[in-house]
Amino acid sequence: MSSAGQAIEPIDLYDEPGLVLRLNAYLTEKLGRPVEIGALKRFAVGFSWITYGFSIPAPGIEGVTGLILRLGPALGLFAPYSAAPQYLSLKALEGHDVPAPRAYYWSDDAAILGAPFFISELVRGEAPIPWGPGSEMSDEFRHSLGAQFTDALGALHNIDWQRSGLAELAANVSVANAGLLQIEEWERNYHRWALKAYPMFDFALRWLRAHQPVAPRVSIVHGDYRLGNFLEVDGKITAILDWELVHLGDPHEDLAWFCLPQYRGGTKLMGKLIARDEFYARYEAKTGFAVSEESMRFYEIFNLVKLAATHMAGVYAFERKGFYDMRMPAMGTQIAPVLRQIEKALEANA
Amino acid sequence: MNNSLDRLIEGMVETLRREILPNLEGEFVRGQAYGVIYALKSLQLRASWSPAFLLAQIGALRELAEATAELPAEAPHVLLPDELPHDAGQLEKLRDTGDAAVSALIGWLAAHEHPAGDAAVRAYIHRQLKHELKTSAKPMFAEISLGKEQEA
Repeated sequence: MSSAGQAIEPIDLYDEPGLVLRLNAYLTEKLGRPVEIGALKRFAVGFSWITYGFSIPAPGIEGVTGLILRLGPALGLFAPYSAAPQYLSLKALEGHDVPAPRAYYWSDDAAILGAPFFISELVRGEAPIPWGPGSEMSDEFRHSLGAQFTDALGALHNIDWQRSGLAELAANVSVANAGLLQIEEWERNYHRWALKAYPMFDFALRWLRAHQPVAPRVSIVHGDYRLGNFLEVDGKITAILDWELVHLGDPHEDLAWFCLPQYRGGTKLMGKLIARDEFYARYEAKTGFAVSEESMRFYEIFNLVKLAATHMAGVYAFERKGFYDMRMPAMGTQIAPVLRQIEKALEANA
Repeated sequence: MNNSLDRLIEGMVETLRREILPNLEGEFVRGQAYGVIYALKSLQLRASWSPAFLLAQIGALRELAEATAELPAEAPHVLLPDELPHDAGQLEKLRDTGDAAVSALIGWLAAHEHPAGDAAVRAYIHRQLKHELKTSAKPMFAEISLGKEQEA
């Protein structure tokens, strides 16, 4: 509701001509010159943020003419959204050895384009995926990508984020409470999304609370670091994508996520790219701290909890938000297998 | 499936109408799609989740209730009526209330050491998950992602 008590007319995020007009007005104001963008091209990626590609005439923004607009819809999987963490993280990466799109503008004011949004550089490339036919890679190609992906992760975790805008979002995170803050975050999400109680989930939360490790440092954590979330051209990684779960925390969280069996594509390789020993050794050489097996066990359970909660978000979005995308209830069928995976992992840790 | 049957059917009908029918050509094929919509809407009026599936879950809850009956009175207890309802919706509510009590019991056990109670809860969780997996269809995520039938 507006301050005058009148309902604000929602903006249709799929009305492409209307969005073009709004983007023209926004970019004209930001760039201080008349801007007329080209047609929007919608990318069918993810379940959450809506992604459009578009171009603007030269000189573009800082010389870049191919751009991406990402919008966080009010009914999206993890809504309500803020574009700030993604924008601030991408800005923090600039000048570091983490290939990522350059970010230009953002706002959480839904009156501008209809939803929180950010505008970034369009990076070219293909996204190899961990599953399905056609996703096979030669050993040389896979090994090269594995080495680059590991190095980029080390570089990400080495960034001194306190010198960046991310410091604003730090919320007193420390090496002692990094695990606890994430447990609390995902427990809140569970209570928000679960349509019923899942005793295994509660049992896992109890175990996590009793086994919190101390982080080796507080780092920028990508939150979904795996095959499928980067682009490559001719074997060179051009951009790490999908920063919507980015936060500050224990770097082991990303390491353990990358090592989840779900993302090994039926191989023995971590992330379908690299042997565990080589992954650890390369990462340790890059970051200068030893990977802790105890922390890896904690974050394996934590990440499975996070994955189960994400599947619950799919069920919730379909049941309560009016989504009719049949991928959502299909995601929901994976709650029990992931909970069973947690049960087995806890047995192995007993 | 973790969504309600009612909502699943609504979603299937919406998907057919909004995503599939606009991309189908030919009267016969489109007529078949409307036939599926009609069948789904008819199912929506009469179908419910299988009582056998829910009764197995409630049976596991009853075993847990018996195994934890000796816990102190202040502990959360799983309470089930002697006579179970026949209606699947009421059975589902009973299962959900039971699982909420189990979750509360897990919280209580975190602060009160009771190995036998813990073991009973873990046995219950194990049984429920096995039952859930046994009654789930083989995943079709490759087909859903790629839009192509995969080899069995």
